[in-house]
Amino acid sequence: MRRRKYNLGNAIYFTMNGAILAFLLAPIAIITVFALNSAPYISFPPTGFTLGWFSKFFSSPEFMNAFALSLQVAAAVLILSMLIGGLCALALARGNLPGNRVLTAFFMSPLMLPAILTGLALFQIYLLMGIGRPIWGLIMGHTLVAVPYVLRTTLAVLHNFDRKIEEAAAIHGAPPARVFFEITLPLIRPGVLAGGIFAFIVSFDQFPISLFLVAPGGETLPVVLFNYMKFDLDGAIAAASMVSILMAIAVVVLLEKVIGLKAYVKL
Amino acid sequence: MTDNKFTRRTVLKTGAAVMASLATPSVVLAQTAILNITTWGGKWGDVMKNEVLPAFEKEFKCSVRADQAFPFLPKLQASPRNAPIYDVLHANSNEQWKALEEGIVSPKLDVKDVPNLKDVYPYAVSDKIVGVSIFTSAVGLGYRTDKGITKPTSWKDLADPKFAGQRGGYLIPVNGLGQAHLMMLGKLYGSGFTDLDAAYKALETLKPIKLFDFTGQMEKALLSAEVNIGIIHDSGIYRYEDKEPIEFAVPSEGVLALEQVLSVTPGSKVKELAHAYIDFMLRPDIQKKLSEAVWYSPSNTKVDLDPRFDAKLFNTPEKVSQLVQMDWKWYNEHKDEIDLRVARILRG
Repeated sequence: MRRRKYNLGNAIYFTMNGAILAFLLAPIAIITVFALNSAPYISFPPTGFTLGWFSKFFSSPEFMNAFALSLQVAAAVLILSMLIGGLCALALARGNLPGNRVLTAFFMSPLMLPAILTGLALFQIYLLMGIGRPIWGLIMGHTLVAVPYVLRTTLAVLHNFDRKIEEAAAIHGAPPARVFFEITLPLIRPGVLAGGIFAFIVSFDQFPISLFLVAPGGETLPVVLFNYMKFDLDGAIAAASMVSILMAIAVVVLLEKVIGLKAYVKL
Repeated sequence: MTDNKFTRRTVLKTGAAVMASLATPSVVLAQTAILNITTWGGKWGDVMKNEVLPAFEKEFKCSVRADQAFPFLPKLQASPRNAPIYDVLHANSNEQWKALEEGIVSPKLDVKDVPNLKDVYPYAVSDKIVGVSIFTSAVGLGYRTDKGITKPTSWKDLADPKFAGQRGGYLIPVNGLGQAHLMMLGKLYGSGFTDLDAAYKALETLKPIKLFDFTGQMEKALLSAEVNIGIIHDSGIYRYEDKEPIEFAVPSEGVLALEQVLSVTPGSKVKELAHAYIDFMLRPDIQKKLSEAVWYSPSNTKVDLDPRFDAKLFNTPEKVSQLVQMDWKWYNEHKDEIDLRVARILRG
């Protein structure tokens, strides 16, 4: 057997990859340590092992209500942003609209504004309109910043879309609605879903917009965690973060099982 | 293509289910007056939500919406003056003064509207206070007792070179305790609380110092020995009740008052209820309950605390005379220049 020769390029390549992986995973590792540390405050190195912080998180009505609300809002945002983002992408890619590029930039603009200002502006608008702070107002705020993710991923799919398939279906007598639901929609699905997953996670973790739009007694998990941290900086925060991370993974796995995400590799 | 279904029908069904669950109407309290207030979280928030607010709602046949989500002041600033988002603002003094300068809270309360005002210590309604201070914490020096540190007796002890890198303070632009301490430095090393040059010079001598955003972070830093001495309120130490090796020291120059202040918004549509709420919060029984839950010193002179609280909290004329109240109106007027200067000092 021939011994593989030492290759400096490979060594640098693997070292860089290792460093990037470590950089990406280190926060999760640190949160795990904090969540399992028995010390009554966040500290390093750990002094013991406990699952007590998870127990505190799951037994707290405040945390659980916020967790449930965050899930509900994120689910609504997922659906709305897929609907709005997907349709906008179709219009922009297919509609021959004048000023296409300007419109695309306009739809992407919520990502360019500081989210805290978006939150404050929405808050003021809602109050001036006498709406107050309803849950649907919060969902609208989250959707505003989530739509660009769906728009971008769907546009990427549409860019490589072969329109001859649609034309063939139409020539064979399929009405436009059938062409859309049986040809167009299945083909753009990977882009819409990929954006939808981003939208879900962006909404679930959304803090700056929620800060202004949550109503008393209807706070989302990131807001509750922020307020909790001001008074109690203990492992319950880390446990909540762990649960959020696991939940995000679970959502991706669930979508893979239910809908199938293999097509994402095409993106 | 996969066999998985992602059709119009599934999308619409799922969407309808989620929207329906969110649109479920909450109980509408038609005819019931609603009082919108701000309040803290943590243990304070627990006692308020579980005991104090339900008792108030029952007695005054109203509903209280208590906002615990910071930041309160920008939300109040952004809401219409004639329909403010809060009827009662609970905040520390520095924020109350900011709110007063913008005309979004009323400066003073009348004993006719809030009868329990007649029983509060003078500091609670002094010219340094907007509305009324319902409780106060004493800000002094917290230190670890297991590091061979002699109990500090002066604010100047914080500058002892042996605490280099082990002392803790606050990010002055965002923390009231840090701001009050800066004014105290002016008094300690200069001509008075407004002697900023002396304060800046003294701040230089505290470097290296670990800085925190919130008092909760300072608490944990002391508990974990990340710092061995730091500026903190007494309640942040006493709540551990000798279970941890940390103690609170009252500097001979006095403790900084960290007041819990309530004020009413001029545009409130339920002013009578707002006054009733403040009066309720000043009742001796409510004061005792909250004092003993979170180790805040009560403002009402008629509160009888249990001995272990009585021994430590500032609840006698002699003890409250040690409280130093800051001129937040003056500070807020100079805040921008102070922020710029301290940022340069602490960055360098």
